[in-house]
Amino acid sequence: MLTTLGRSALSFASYLGEVALLMRDTVGAILLGKIRWRLVMFQIAEMGFRSQLVVSVTGAFTGAVFAAQTYFQFHKLGMDSAVGPVVSLSMFRELGPVLTGLMVAGRVGAAIAAEIGTMKVTEQIDALRALGVQPVDYLVVPRATALMISMPLLVVECVGFSLIAGWFVATQVLGVQEAFFLENMRRYTDGYDIAWALSKGFVFGVIIVFLSCYEGLNAREGAVGVGRAPTEAVVRCSLSILISNFFLSFGLNIIFPTV
Amino acid sequence: MSSSPETPVIEVQALKKRLGTQDVLRGVDLQVRRGETCVVLGRSGCGKSVLLKHIIALMRPTSGRVLIEGEEITGLPERQLLDVRRKVGMLFQSAALFDSMTVEQNLAFPLKEQGIRDPKVIKERVTEALDMVDLLGAESKMPEKLSGGMRKRVGLARTVVGRPRCILYDEPTTGLDPITSDSINRLIRRLQKRISVTSVVVTHDMKTAFHCGDSIVFLHEGRVYFQGTVDQLRASTDPVITDFIEGRSGDAD
Ligand SMILES: Nc1ncnc2c1ncn2[C@@H]1O[C@H](COP(=O)(O)OP(=O)(O)OP(=O)(O)O)[C@@H](O)[C@H]1O
Ligand SMILES: [Mg+2]
Repeated sequence: MLTTLGRSALSFASYLGEVALLMRDTVGAILLGKIRWRLVMFQIAEMGFRSQLVVSVTGAFTGAVFAAQTYFQFHKLGMDSAVGPVVSLSMFRELGPVLTGLMVAGRVGAAIAAEIGTMKVTEQIDALRALGVQPVDYLVVPRATALMISMPLLVVECVGFSLIAGWFVATQVLGVQEAFFLENMRRYTDGYDIAWALSKGFVFGVIIVFLSCYEGLNAREGAVGVGRAPTEAVVRCSLSILISNFFLSFGLNIIFPTV
Repeated sequence: MSSSPETPVIEVQALKKRLGTQDVLRGVDLQVRRGETCVVLGRSGCGKSVLLKHIIALMRPTSGRVLIEGEEITGLPERQLLDVRRKVGMLFQSAALFDSMTVEQNLAFPLKEQGIRDPKVIKERVTEALDMVDLLGAESKMPEKLSGGMRKRVGLARTVVGRPRCILYDEPTTGLDPITSDSINRLIRRLQKRISVTSVVVTHDMKTAFHCGDSIVFLHEGRVYFQGTVDQLRASTDPVITDFIEGRSGDAD
């Protein structure tokens, strides 16, 4: 029992170490200026641009249902005016980044792991190396750069749609006074909340891209191995996002304190 | 440094490789001089592809050394292997074409990586390489739309398009019809004669071995079992070798 525990702790530590090495190589390559901008643009279009639909739909419906639930509870207390700020703060600080992270992990993380994993088992990665190209430079750096740029923007987009939907449900459907809703929302939401959303988006982007690239680069031979890579990537990304979100909230509360 | 002309272009010393629980290579020595074509024969699974991957440092030896033009590459970090890999081209057994690119983009890739920017030069070199493997007109096809033999030939074209000084061929004629095989054999020979490419050819095809080989190496049980010229191989009376050449399974009828 203890040995199994020890062994899995050990393998977890070595996993973290290998992901850290991958990150070091990537950051090293970026600092050496080995960014292939053409590939970055392609990846931004592929991963960022094309994730917009799923992210905005997620945001809109979460915002809508969240505004409705808040209203149902707060209305009993006669606090209709609090619906705006509650929705806005929780979307900016928690739900927006986490939901965007989970959706992008499912869409982009799986794609990255599948694509790189296929290249691995069909010797395309060896072919890159044989032609004098570092796989990290060619495969990881563009994806990492693209997702670090796209994720914060996607989070903002998700939050934006959630607020529009929340506003619609609260004021147009449930009859919260429009001036109250907007004024209070503006009063209680500030630059810190936006910074909070952007930082979380960035960190989740880093998590998604490196965990997924790692799964792809270490995919095992055969159809089963390649099939497992994206599943593994999505599970690991999602758990890491949820867990790190908890710690991020505490950390960010120190950097961007609630006034 | 690559000083005297006597320095072998490729030198493998006491190479051992363990993969999982299996000792694939158990001490292989190999020398290939400039302009020479060395043919590597051996039963399927005896470690020929593994040997080639060590020569271009895609795999790291468990022990032993690999030298390219007199320079040891065994311990070099990946980024320093760049220059070595520019000199050495490899045709993969699976061809390993980039499946997100067209044939033309596959061939242009090594050129762009060498810093060639002029689209006219790239176009010219790509056409020339495709012509060599008799695939003109396939430029805009995607790899998954090609037959196995065509993929192999595109792989070959991608290997030679960058004009490496040294080429490793992993089964260049497997899966090709006899006529195409013959033209590939001639191509290998021509590259060697005309631009004095140094090559290692892994093959199961005796025609290729006899046509292209200056020297023949026979791998058996992780070691070099035989090394010599084509004539010496033909003259051999060792049953392991004669069975292989004549394609006898050794099972008594
Ligand atoms: N990445 C790897 N991990 C574990 N074992 C491997 C790996 N690559 C090759 N092997 C093993 O090493 C041995 C030699 O493989 P290799 O591909 O070099 O054979 P080969 O001589 O090229 O055979 P063939 O003529 O069929 O291509 C095989 O038994 C194979 O199982
Ligand atoms: Mg092989």
